[in-house]
Amino acid sequence: MAVVTVSGQPGCRTREVAQLAAQRLGFTHISADRLDALLAEEFGPIVEANSRTWPDMAASILLRLATEAHLVIGVDGAEHFFHNFPALLRIRVVAPENRRIGNIMLDDRLDRPSARESLLRREAEIRRTRKARFGRAAPPPDSFDLIVNAESLDGAHMAAFIESAALHRDLTAHGFLSRAAEAQLQFQIRLRLAKHGIQPRGLASLHRVQFGHPSEEIFANLLDFYRIAWEYEPRSFPIAWDEHGRVLEAFTPDFFLPESNLYVELTTMKQSLVTRKNRKIRLLREIYPHINIQVFYQKDLQDLVLKYGLIQLPAGGAS
Amino acid sequence: MKTPAMPMLDRVLFTEDEIRASLLEVAARISDRYKDGNLKLIGVLKGSVFFLTALARELTIPVKIDFLAISSFSNRSGAPGVVRIAKDLDESIEGEDVLLVEDIVDTGFTARYLLQTLAGRGPNSIALCTMLDRSARRIVPLQIDFRCFEIPDRFVIGCGLDYKQLYRNLNFIGVLKPDQA
Repeated sequence: MAVVTVSGQPGCRTREVAQLAAQRLGFTHISADRLDALLAEEFGPIVEANSRTWPDMAASILLRLATEAHLVIGVDGAEHFFHNFPALLRIRVVAPENRRIGNIMLDDRLDRPSARESLLRREAEIRRTRKARFGRAAPPPDSFDLIVNAESLDGAHMAAFIESAALHRDLTAHGFLSRAAEAQLQFQIRLRLAKHGIQPRGLASLHRVQFGHPSEEIFANLLDFYRIAWEYEPRSFPIAWDEHGRVLEAFTPDFFLPESNLYVELTTMKQSLVTRKNRKIRLLREIYPHINIQVFYQKDLQDLVLKYGLIQLPAGGAS
Repeated sequence: MKTPAMPMLDRVLFTEDEIRASLLEVAARISDRYKDGNLKLIGVLKGSVFFLTALARELTIPVKIDFLAISSFSNRSGAPGVVRIAKDLDESIEGEDVLLVEDIVDTGFTARYLLQTLAGRGPNSIALCTMLDRSARRIVPLQIDFRCFEIPDRFVIGCGLDYKQLYRNLNFIGVLKPDQA
């Protein structure tokens, strides 16, 4: 079991660093959003997000995932999850306030005073959450193995440092966490959670991405190239029901881009399939007007193939 | 305008005169916006060279110019890696009013990456100008501060835009025939 934890000051684009590091190492990236989704899958609606039980709830899931994958955990406070673990690398991303304000200005299209205000708000929120979960508002520097400064390093540089540190530490030497070791660690966690009436259900798991079509994989690679976080088919939307309220038809967009809060659907060249798909998308927009969805037609993808010099798409196009 | 005798060309989308008229309008707005500023135009190689130089000639304010290039995505060898700056700026942009100049913005991937990268280098302000905006293909939300034309979802060439590295030098913007694109 190899675990790299990446946390950072707000405005440092820590998520991007964690994502790139996972990409370079071939590890599974667990972002805060993904961990929230896993927690909901495992425990149902989470009411303990800001309590001392949250770290145990998160750790019980992450330990199980570690039996099948090496992890990069981009969650604030994750450095506390696996105390004294041998194959653990804890990273902290920091940057001067000016740099972080600049990032927020651009990411949220804010002017400097508003970006500063937003930064202060986020810092206060993180301090509150850390205090509630771990008993300390700020992590001491010795909680980390490596602290990187985003003032002069971009995401790719930091990811390269992390990769190099992980390789030199030989993090993956012992393979994944054994089932026996997991069971032993889970026992203690279950005991603590039981005091609060919380019981892990063993439901949360990693769904390895199996793309429905090669063009979807090309699109995912393109998103990775531009460091854009994505999820593959994360949600299905019911679009037709029978008189008893049973779902007759659902629509599952191909990608979700959490940073843009946008679903993306890739479509086929075949006109009959396009027509059917367009109908579903129209229904989705009518029933869920708050959902943003962008349709990316096969023609658009072909133009990207031309523009970026990608391999030719196979005949038949996307799903 | 009569379509030039180019077999791969479907039609002319914007003539040289139309491009110039729009460019003059955008140049006037930029000159006005940055009249008290410290403007630096940053072009993205290679596509924006033609538009940037034409635009710069019409500005009525002093302006600095710099260029950068990014690595290209290729899926041929399996893992595509991540985007990086292949040719960096020659000078610092700290404290300057940066205007990133693109030939075309479609998905927004490149512009987003470049804006993020440049914003981290301490400019006084940062904005985006593009000759063509193909917003029908936008995936990443972007604020475009100056644009000459909104264009339909077609493959276009000319004024810096290429097809297999050709036709950048056309003085008009044309649509490639569907069977070519």
